[in-house]
Amino acid sequence: MDTLQFLLGGFAVALTPQNLMVAATGAFIGTIVGMLPGLGPINGVAILMPLAFALKLPPETALILLAAVYMGCEYGGRISSILLNVPGDAGAIMTALDGHPMAKNGLAGVALSISAWSSFIGALIATVGIVLFAPLLARWALAFGPAEYFALMCFAFACITGLMGDAPVKAALAAVIGLSLSTVGLDSNSGVYRFTGGDVHLSDGIQFIVVVIGVFSVSEILLMLEQHRSSAGLIHISGRKLFNLKEMAFTWWCTLRSSVVGFVVGVLPGAGATIASAMTYSMEKRLAGPDGHFGDGDIRGVAAPEAANNASAAGSFVPMLTLGVPGSGTTAVMVGALSLYNITPGPALFTQNPTLVWGLIASLFIANVMLLVINIPMVGVFTKVLRLPNWALAPGILAVSAVGVFSVHATTFDLMLMSGLGMVGYLLRKQGMPMAPLILGFVLGDLMEQNLRRALSITNGELGILVESPISIGLWIGAVAMVVVPPLMRLRAHRMQAADAA
Amino acid sequence: MNRKAALMTLVLACAAATAVAGPLDKTECIAPAKPGGGFDLTCKLAQSSLMQGKFVADPMRITYMPGGIGAVAYNAIVAQRPAEANTIVAFSGGSLLNLAQGKFGRYNENDVHWLAAVGSDFGAIIVAEGSPLKSMKDLVAAVKADPTKVVFGAGGTVGSQDWMKAALTARSAGLNPKSMRFVAFEGGGEAITALQGGHVQVYSGDASEAEQQMKAGAKIRVLAVMSDKRLEGSLAGVPTAKEQGFDIEWPIIRGFYVGPKVSDADYKVWADTFSKMMATPEFNKLRVERGLFPFAKTGPELDAYVKARVAYYRTLAKDFGLNVAVAK
Amino acid sequence: MSDRILGAACLVAGAGMAWAAQDYAAPISYEPVGPRAFPLLLAGLMALAGSWLVARPGPQGFGLAREHFKTIGLAAAAVFAYAALFETFGFPLATTVMALPVGMAFGGSWKQSLAGGVVMGFAFYLMFDKLLDVVLPTGLLSFVLGGR
Repeated sequence: MDTLQFLLGGFAVALTPQNLMVAATGAFIGTIVGMLPGLGPINGVAILMPLAFALKLPPETALILLAAVYMGCEYGGRISSILLNVPGDAGAIMTALDGHPMAKNGLAGVALSISAWSSFIGALIATVGIVLFAPLLARWALAFGPAEYFALMCFAFACITGLMGDAPVKAALAAVIGLSLSTVGLDSNSGVYRFTGGDVHLSDGIQFIVVVIGVFSVSEILLMLEQHRSSAGLIHISGRKLFNLKEMAFTWWCTLRSSVVGFVVGVLPGAGATIASAMTYSMEKRLAGPDGHFGDGDIRGVAAPEAANNASAAGSFVPMLTLGVPGSGTTAVMVGALSLYNITPGPALFTQNPTLVWGLIASLFIANVMLLVINIPMVGVFTKVLRLPNWALAPGILAVSAVGVFSVHATTFDLMLMSGLGMVGYLLRKQGMPMAPLILGFVLGDLMEQNLRRALSITNGELGILVESPISIGLWIGAVAMVVVPPLMRLRAHRMQAADAA
Repeated sequence: MNRKAALMTLVLACAAATAVAGPLDKTECIAPAKPGGGFDLTCKLAQSSLMQGKFVADPMRITYMPGGIGAVAYNAIVAQRPAEANTIVAFSGGSLLNLAQGKFGRYNENDVHWLAAVGSDFGAIIVAEGSPLKSMKDLVAAVKADPTKVVFGAGGTVGSQDWMKAALTARSAGLNPKSMRFVAFEGGGEAITALQGGHVQVYSGDASEAEQQMKAGAKIRVLAVMSDKRLEGSLAGVPTAKEQGFDIEWPIIRGFYVGPKVSDADYKVWADTFSKMMATPEFNKLRVERGLFPFAKTGPELDAYVKARVAYYRTLAKDFGLNVAVAK
Repeated sequence: MSDRILGAACLVAGAGMAWAAQDYAAPISYEPVGPRAFPLLLAGLMALAGSWLVARPGPQGFGLAREHFKTIGLAAAAVFAYAALFETFGFPLATTVMALPVGMAFGGSWKQSLAGGVVMGFAFYLMFDKLLDVVLPTGLLSFVLGGR
């Protein structure tokens, strides 16, 4: 009952003209930022954070703006995933796997609208989840100790390696490369500098933005260069603009499942949209079994990751608001924004600053509706941005990418590193190596190592702790199954084919 | 109005009118951290205070250059941008500590002009609310009795400020820092959570952080603050370590430096501007809002302080068996 | 064939990592697992995956396309030049210099590419630097645009 009252109070805050305007602006900017390859929610939020502060917006308004940008990015990322086969942001990597083939098959409009719809459902469910479970879920996430975290990350790698069915070794290698890149710089336990070559520029390690922009946007330019002669690139939306009821019913349960999983993953500190979308994609791929044609344009392969990345984006607000521990890189930037206003997120925020918390939650509902509205009928407006000719688009992507790197890391060194990683990424991609495990490895590397070491510190080196709790045992079983089952299935299918032929 | 101020105003007006780039024209603050980090806040403090007091005509721009608690920015300024009079760079006590340990590459503390310190935080010994330890004496006695029973948590690595504070406490109990029990967390938030969960017994954190966490409802208690006198605000009731008989001071100053080739005249303009700015009540309000305690030093006074501090850190690091940089 | 090269490169990288990581020891350590273990584990995994690729290379399907060597080389050089000149030339000018070869590599005429570069350089500069307050270097044009 209390909750309902607070929520109504929140709507009173969110529905003021200023906050409505701000939410709409944020949603619009977010969609564009999310759509542009190389720019993700972290860049969007980081760029707008000083602006919000400079414009002297009150804290709840600033937070509403940033939250709308964040949600908008999760919506926008899918547009370039589907039409360009370039993930607009990390959460939309999975969406490209089936979204782009769908678009190639002339179903671009359907892919875009169903993904907007599932984004909407994902975010809606997760926002309801925040309202209902915020305190409960936060307590549950706390039950994850270092051992469980380590098991969870191994599970995530198992998922993503098993997922790249045709080249599991290359996927695993990509993950290892990502993990290795993450070990560069200061070791946060012992204070030792690793793989820096004595260069201070690497003392904090390689920046996430540099890696993401290097391997995704710079290498993409080089790949585009080969493809443009064979005239691939932006796919024009043709045919149906909207999904039909049959398609909605077909994806309904998959969207719901993915929303719930996405929300839960989002709540876990550190685990975000990238993992959520990867997990649900492989989950749906597995559930569909031989009926699915994942990778060739299965509509569920678009609905699942989009529902999950929006749900996890909303879910990541839970640990930020209740524990002060950001659930994603983007919410980490928001914690920084709040500290500008001298507000420390923590357990007391709900009671001390209900205007802020419930205003934010209510505005998530509102921004979400706005995003659905601007993303289905107005998607054509956004694709105009993508319809630029390649000779203008490619330098544009490069320029915006460089700005993105420079805005957070104003050194020539990092721009050069971005270029270098772009070249390496290009060569690896040419060799058929998937980049998603690399990014996942890079994001998780530090957490993974620290959790492993912390777990082993608890038992003074005894490995037993890694398989002690039921949660970790479950995760390990899941991980093994993810790695072992798919090859066995393929082997069986192969044998059955051989038997059929005989 | 005294003559100096009038002259300055005139000079500033001329500078603005003729668009000759004076040091306070089109200013830039380099925050050697990601947006939203502590250095960003330091830059923002200068940005808003300078603007509010109308010391600068255009708002100060902020660029981000994270890496090594200031190491990247330090190298960029010394090597590539040494003569930029309108660029100031934020630093903190953590930067100085890293500088002393040779983590700033080939440069040392004599390579820049230390400009102004705008505020400070202080180290604090924090325990859980229900902890049996009531004072520094209790803590030291407990460490003496059984070093394995008292686990120090910290928001940083070995050799970081948090570790140093723990090591100093352990040393005052007659314990070699190498044999204390120490756990590094990712930032102070995690350490405070671990403190409340009973995973660690002591957290050698910062006063303003503890203050804010307590306001946010964290069940923690501050045993001592590592300042020379008691702090203002809600921690006024907490005795200093010195009062309790332990000579441990750990200020974490926040301030700015300028490049080595900035002229003495420009350096002086900056230092005077900061001195004047820090005397205004608006500045003090903004400083308190950002959780900083008063600590105003500018120009040569700060320069001497910083150099003494770095020398002290170097001695400490050597005593504790860490790597140190050799002063040129 | 090229899978073998990738595999060999991984073996070399793994060996290099292991060699570099050997010396990583904390001056003071409080934990059973130090800063060396994880990199060594990764080096081992990388070498393992590398030897797998050397032993069992996948079917040849990718590889570098020789007919695009020139344009790709040009674009790659432009990317590095952009990074190198970003601060010294300043954003608007560096963007123009970058957009000309990259635009032409993508089939634009030199007029289109140059015009695109100039427009983008200045439009992005105005949008990011003036409107969104993301500080960008002005470099050689600092006498007109201010900044540095």
